[in-house]
Amino acid sequence: MALLEASGVTKRFAGLTALDHVDLQVEEGSVHSIIGPNGAGKSTLLNVLTGSIRPDGGTILFDGQSLISRPPYEINQLGIARVFQSPEIFPELRLVDNVTIAALAARDGSFRLNALQHPRRRGEVRDLAEEVLADVGLKEYARFVAKHLSRGDKRRLELAICLAHRPRLLLLDEPTAGMSHAETHSTVELLKKISEMGMTKIIIEHDMDVVFTLSSRITVLHQGRVIADGAPEQIRGDEAVQEAYLGGAHL
Amino acid sequence: MIAHMLRPQSAESPWREPVIMAVVAVVMITLPWILPYVGGYPELATRILIWGIFALGFDLLVGFTGYLSFGHAAFWGIGAYCAGFYLLHGGMNALPAIIIGVVAATAISVLLGYLALRRYGIYFAILTLAFAEMFYYAALAPLQDWTGGDNGLTGIPTPVLAGIPLKGEVIHYFVVACAFLAVYFARRIVRSPFGLMLRAIKSNETRLRFTGINVYRYKVAAFVISGLYSGLAGTLYAIYETYVPTESLHWVTSGKVVMMSVIGGLGTLFGPMVGAGVVLYLEDVLSASTEQWLLIQGLIFMAFVVFLPGGVMEGLHRILSWIAWRRTDLPEIEGRRQAREGAHGAAPLQQRSR
Repeated sequence: MALLEASGVTKRFAGLTALDHVDLQVEEGSVHSIIGPNGAGKSTLLNVLTGSIRPDGGTILFDGQSLISRPPYEINQLGIARVFQSPEIFPELRLVDNVTIAALAARDGSFRLNALQHPRRRGEVRDLAEEVLADVGLKEYARFVAKHLSRGDKRRLELAICLAHRPRLLLLDEPTAGMSHAETHSTVELLKKISEMGMTKIIIEHDMDVVFTLSSRITVLHQGRVIADGAPEQIRGDEAVQEAYLGGAHL
Repeated sequence: MIAHMLRPQSAESPWREPVIMAVVAVVMITLPWILPYVGGYPELATRILIWGIFALGFDLLVGFTGYLSFGHAAFWGIGAYCAGFYLLHGGMNALPAIIIGVVAATAISVLLGYLALRRYGIYFAILTLAFAEMFYYAALAPLQDWTGGDNGLTGIPTPVLAGIPLKGEVIHYFVVACAFLAVYFARRIVRSPFGLMLRAIKSNETRLRFTGINVYRYKVAAFVISGLYSGLAGTLYAIYETYVPTESLHWVTSGKVVMMSVIGGLGTLFGPMVGAGVVLYLEDVLSASTEQWLLIQGLIFMAFVVFLPGGVMEGLHRILSWIAWRRTDLPEIEGRRQAREGAHGAAPLQQRSR
C-alpha cells in the first residue's frame, strides 16, 4: 500500500472547481513531483493534504489514517511536514531556537504545560537542533537571528525546521521559487541529500530541470484534473501533457 | 527591541540568574528609601510594585505572545472586588482574600481566553474590551448591592496576615515578597520550552501550526497565566488601598497598563515594571504641580512610541551599546565589519556569544 493515498479529492471555490476527483498515490521512499500550468490546482492540493483547506469530497489516507478534517498540527504530528512557497520561519528568533521549537514539538507533542521546565533540561533537544542545522549547512549561524538570513538560507532553515521532526513525508511548494541560479543549485543538492536519507517527498515545482533531476514519479494536473501520472520518461513523451502544459512545445 | 537579550542560553553562567534576582530584591526592598530623593514618597514604592505585577503579567501575553488585550482591567478589577468583598464580609485575613480574588480572576480569564482567542488582532482587542466593560457596568448597577455601585467598596478594614496588620512597612515587605515571586516565575516561564512557544506564536503563528503545535491551547494558557498575575495584583491593590474604586474595572485601567508596558519596553519583563514606576511617578509629580497632567502624560507616551518604541529598556540598551562601542578599539571594529559582511550579506548584529 502506498504511504499516501488520495482518491476522488474535490474542492470547489464559488463555482470554480479547483480540484476535480484527483487521485494520487505516493509510494514510500519516492520523490513525487506535481506539475501543471498556473491555476492547475497544485497549491490547493497541497493545502488539502496539510489541512489548511477542507475538501468537498474524496478520501485521503496517510499510512492507513484519514487526514480529512484534521487540523494542520495533527497532520504534522502524524509525520507530514511542509515547506512553503515563501519560506515560513520564525524571523525574530535565533536559528537554533527556530529548530528547537520543532524538536520540542516532536518530543512533547502538540501541547505541554512545561512552563517551569529549566533550560538545562533541554539538552538533547538542543543537540538535535544543532545536528539538523549542521545537516543543512547552517551550523555556523546557529546563534544568529533568522531574519538576517538570505532567501536561500531561509529556505534551508525552513527545511531544518521540517527535518527536526523526522517526518515520513515532506511536502515542498516550489522550493526554488525566487532563487538565484546558485541558490537553486545548492537547494537541489540539499534536496538530493535529504532523499538519500530515505524520506518520501512531494514536490511542486515550475523549474523542469529541477523536476526531472529529482523526481521518481510525476503527476500532471491541468484545470483541477490529473491528465498524466507516471515515471519521468513517460511524462516527457506524453502528448496530452505537452499540449496542456506548454501548448505543444517540447519539454 | 532587546528581546533577544532574554533568549535562553544553553551555556550561560550558573550565577547569572541568582545575581539578577538578588539585584531585583535589593531594588524592591530599598525603593521606599530611594523615592523621596527624587520627589516621590515611600508609599509610592508599594503601589509601583503592585502595578508592576499587573504589567508583568500583561507583558507575558502582549510582549511575548503578541496578543494585545484591552480588557485586563477585568482581571485586576475582579481580583480587587473579590478580595475587598471577602475582607468586608468574610474576615480580616489577607490570605483567603488573595486566594479568592486570584481564583475568581483566573476562572474568568479561562472563559474570556477561550472566547476571544478565536479571533486575531483588532477583533481580539475589541472582544477583550467589550468583555471588561460588561463587568464594569455590571458592577455599577445590577450588582451594586455587592459592589457598592458608584462608590466602590469602601471601609475595608486593615487586613491581617498571621496576626500582623498589613500596613506601613509590613505591607511593603509583603508586596515585595509577592512581586519577587512574580518576577521569578515570569523569568522561569519565559525561559522554559513553553515560553519559547509563546515567542514563536508572536513571531509566526502559521509556521508553528505547521510544526505540530496546538497554537490555540498555548494562547489560552498564556492568557490565563496573564489573567492570574493581573488578578493577584488586583487583590494586593484592594488590600493596600483598603478601598476598591469602580475605575478598577474601567477601560482606563486597561489603557494604563498598556501605557506602562509600552513606556517600559514590551517583551522585556522588567521593562513594564519600570514603566509602571515611570507612569505612577509622573502621575504623582505632575498632578501635584499642574491640573493638565494627563495632557503631559499623553505627550510623553506619544514621544516614547514615536522615538523609542522599545521603551526605557531600549533606551538603556542603546546607552550601554554606545558605551561598549566607545570603549572598543579600532582593530576590533574592523574585525566585526568583516564578520558582518562575510555572512552572505547577513548582518550578525544580534549575535550573542555563548
